[in-house]
Amino acid sequence: MAELQEKQSSQAGLLHRVSQLFPFDWELVRQASAEPVPYHIKKWWFCLGGTVLYLFVIQVVTGIALTFYYIPSPDQAYQSIAEITQDVRFGWYIRSLHKWASNCMIVAMFLHLLRVYFTGGYRHPRQLNWCIGFLLLGVTLTFGFTGYSLVYEQLSFWGATVGTNLAEAVPLIGPSLAYFLRGGPEVSENTLTRFYVLHIGLLPTLAFVLIFLHVLLIRLHGVTELKFEGEEVPEEARHFRFWPDHATTELLIGVLLMYLLTIMALVFPAGLGEPANPIQTPEHIKPEWYFYFNFRLLQLTSLRVSVVFTMALGAICFLWPFVEEWLTRKFKVSDRVWVMVGVLAFLGFLVLTVWESFV
Amino acid sequence: MDETDKSSRRDWLATVAMGVGLGLSYGVFALEGLLFLLPRQIKARTRNLFAGKISQIRVGGVRPFFDLEGNEILLRRKTEREFQAFNSTCPHLGCKIHWEEEEQRYFCPCHRGVFDVDGKAVSGPPADGNQNLTPVPLQIDEAAGVIYIEVKAASRRRT
Repeated sequence: MAELQEKQSSQAGLLHRVSQLFPFDWELVRQASAEPVPYHIKKWWFCLGGTVLYLFVIQVVTGIALTFYYIPSPDQAYQSIAEITQDVRFGWYIRSLHKWASNCMIVAMFLHLLRVYFTGGYRHPRQLNWCIGFLLLGVTLTFGFTGYSLVYEQLSFWGATVGTNLAEAVPLIGPSLAYFLRGGPEVSENTLTRFYVLHIGLLPTLAFVLIFLHVLLIRLHGVTELKFEGEEVPEEARHFRFWPDHATTELLIGVLLMYLLTIMALVFPAGLGEPANPIQTPEHIKPEWYFYFNFRLLQLTSLRVSVVFTMALGAICFLWPFVEEWLTRKFKVSDRVWVMVGVLAFLGFLVLTVWESFV
Repeated sequence: MDETDKSSRRDWLATVAMGVGLGLSYGVFALEGLLFLLPRQIKARTRNLFAGKISQIRVGGVRPFFDLEGNEILLRRKTEREFQAFNSTCPHLGCKIHWEEEEQRYFCPCHRGVFDVDGKAVSGPPADGNQNLTPVPLQIDEAAGVIYIEVKAASRRRT
């Protein structure tokens, strides 16, 4: 008995000493992880934000791995990627994971956005988190654009050229913005290093900060309990524990995602086209699918009109919670109208994307 | 055994099964990632560089020539079919050795280092430090009557 007490007190002594060296209140972690999770989170469409986060972690891990072999210089970039794909152990796998996780991340993000829109999750008091989320969408699309350009094959090189030329059409700051992005008057070795730094340094930092704010705001506001029509959930089952119940579910979803990505990597491994040739533009150039709507828009109107239109649309989407509030107050419209607006906006995006993919 | 015992054992088994499953799944991914980071051990690539014709060297004779990096190489015909080649840089302090026909030895004039026909240091500072001449690998194509030396191929990255 005395022995046991002695052992316990020495353990407490050690803990005490560790907490002196690292004066952190672990009670906070316990409290944060003990947060009860509302029942409706068990429905998969409420887990899309977490899915994006999980895919982002995959991107960080595989991305760091890829930088071990990738060389950001015009005469070696393509060759180093060929080496990763063909020579390095599991190189094709890591690269394909990175590619497919990026695509899935954007899909999951769009779905998350739709879920938040149609459940009204952006309304008072959560307007700010919609704006942060929309910035994250912008960051993710920029990730996609810069990352694809790093491959330095024909399509990605000319994609970078077209993309930076688009920036030139932005009113007022366009020319200097394009010059800054390219590091000169045209796409060159400066562009590649700039895109590389953006892709592995600046954008990840920005993403981490925004994700932190996004999740923090979710926790500060808390999650509203939703009730669905015709669904009877007994009182004791209305909540479940974050740890370990929800955490295990998340880990399981993670494994399933990895299996899905592995299947994608096996069936459609990331390929490699012709190396970049700054002298010759290929016959058919197309951006990645998530820029199709913009690419189609670009062919429908003049450059200036389509760029300004996209920017205006982006600004409205970014500030949508406030725009909607203002319009509702001014014109006294019902929620039904906003559902219709959402459906039409999404259909418009879908039509442009599908249209472009069939042309 | 009562009901609670049974159900707690079932819970425990479920936890273990879940833990092992998750551990194995993530473990496989971690292993693949680790293997990715460890570069494969690849044998250094070499290529053959033309050194001379067999008929140009008599048995016992030595013929100097330079490789593409400017290193002088001393090629010696040991017997009718056997050849040897050494880098002419002395392993002691980097002076140039030369072949002495009468003595049948390689000699370094800087500190009087002496090497036998097989490149082994036999007297002078190199012998004290057991510093032998650096051999250069050879490829003999008897059918064509040509001698090649093996040199490192250019890095794969600069293709």
